[in-house]
Amino acid sequence: MSSCDINECEGKYDNIVVFMCNECGQGSANTAGVGRMPYDPSVRIVRVQCTGQIGPIQIMDALNNGADAVSCVGCCIGACHFFNGNLLSMRRIKLMKKMFKELGYSDQFINQYTSRAAEGETAVGDFEDIVERLCTAITEGGTFENEC
Amino acid sequence: MNVKVFQFNGCNKCFHETILLKQNDMEVELISNPKDWKGEKIDVAVVSGYLLPEDKEILLNIQSNANKLIAYGDCTTTGGIFGLANQKGANITPISKIIPESFKINGCLAEIEELTATIKGGEVDKPPSLCKVCKRRSTCEYLDEVHRQIDIFENEEACFNDLGFLCNGYIATECKERCVDYGTQCRGCKPIIDRSGVRMLGMFGTLMGNVEVATEASKYGATDKLADKDDDMTESLPDIVGNFFRFSLPTSGLPKGRIHSKGSILENVFKGRLIEEFPLMTGLLGGDNSISMTLSIIEAYEKGAEIEVNEQTKQYRQKLRSLEKELKNAIDAQDAEKYKDVTEKIRKIAGNMNLSNVFYGGFKTPIDGADNFDDYKAEPFEIKEGTYKNGIVEFSIDSKGVIKEIKIKEGA
Repeated sequence: MSSCDINECEGKYDNIVVFMCNECGQGSANTAGVGRMPYDPSVRIVRVQCTGQIGPIQIMDALNNGADAVSCVGCCIGACHFFNGNLLSMRRIKLMKKMFKELGYSDQFINQYTSRAAEGETAVGDFEDIVERLCTAITEGGTFENEC
Repeated sequence: MNVKVFQFNGCNKCFHETILLKQNDMEVELISNPKDWKGEKIDVAVVSGYLLPEDKEILLNIQSNANKLIAYGDCTTTGGIFGLANQKGANITPISKIIPESFKINGCLAEIEELTATIKGGEVDKPPSLCKVCKRRSTCEYLDEVHRQIDIFENEEACFNDLGFLCNGYIATECKERCVDYGTQCRGCKPIIDRSGVRMLGMFGTLMGNVEVATEASKYGATDKLADKDDDMTESLPDIVGNFFRFSLPTSGLPKGRIHSKGSILENVFKGRLIEEFPLMTGLLGGDNSISMTLSIIEAYEKGAEIEVNEQTKQYRQKLRSLEKELKNAIDAQDAEKYKDVTEKIRKIAGNMNLSNVFYGGFKTPIDGADNFDDYKAEPFEIKEGTYKNGIVEFSIDSKGVIKEIKIKEGA
């Protein structure tokens, strides 16, 4: 857990866009739903075929249209249902994180995760981590809006 | 036809290039201080130089008097190389935010042929993409590593990007300057699509498919996530903003940078850039002084880092310096013929007006008519940390070759 208290940031974000791949990502979110596991209501899931479809253009579109944080959730490393879409997306997001740092922003509001379709808690755990990181970014004053 | 060219802020290379319009049947007047312009009816107004929000009124005045308004050069259309100062909180505005309906001619240096055709009002042919005319061929295979400098003669067929040498050609159109022909990667000054920088970032991120990226275990469940620590990805590209958004930061859709810096606009542009990019950038934005500025930076580093330079190189540099003086005389005299003659001579040695061929230790590609290329060939050099000083510039670089501090004396 970061130095930031999650309660401190409550109400300061309301849109977290999560691109989930159609296979493991969306599968784990479904499993979490079946298991009735609660997660943050700000999380908006966008279903995509593969996280390999998501690049800087989609992420910038989301951020410029009001998303507070953007994340990708894909299959586990080596388990992409296509070829290596999750790994390519990771590399693009890594470059974007560096770019935001160079521009003087926090790099905590974008990230990539992996999950397992059979385990709903992996998806919920990822969502919790996204919120935690976003809170760090807000307290540091590193988000676009700089609300904190 | 009555044409007036207005120069706003920054480098005046594009502004002076419009002297060549005089070769056509046009009544051309170059106005270097648009603030003092009284206003009268004109057929075509050409605007060059970068714009700031406070220039809005003058621009609207020009627009109301002109039948046609053309933005000439990257600085006006996309913010250009000066737009990089927005990373440190400057407010350089592309013309589309002030006058969206203006004609736009991209390029650094923007092409005079395109401007002539736009002024005359004929159909302007859309040039093909650079990759179509480039003599190197891309396979788009994943890279194992990224190189910041390569020996371009080792492999003359493979695409720079395939060699791990980041080239923005994928998103660019063909142009007159053709940096790729002079051992320099395409700078991306004539984008073929919108938001070119963001797209190129995605493309190159994909190409880096075999470069190590750091992951760590998620806290919940035994899955992985992207780690925050530095890895080969971030180490191999120390300056992402400068490499991908060199000309398009204000129009890229990225938020304005929040690093606060008190330096002058030039210092803000250069801070954070890479040492091997430095002379190429001064070649782009130096205006009248681009040659002397570039050479003094190169000589500063050569002296400090003990890079050997031989007689032949020195002779060519001396020639370039004298050509710069001739060019200034031609500009002062507003002599289109002489201007064309001198720029052709500069192109012969330096490759293009952006001085792509000029580098540390020599020249990147053979100069026409020279005897032995091995004499003056520039080799990839090792980066040496330290502070370098020569004439009006003083800069220090860190171990990765990133410019940390820079001072440029006023009046340069």
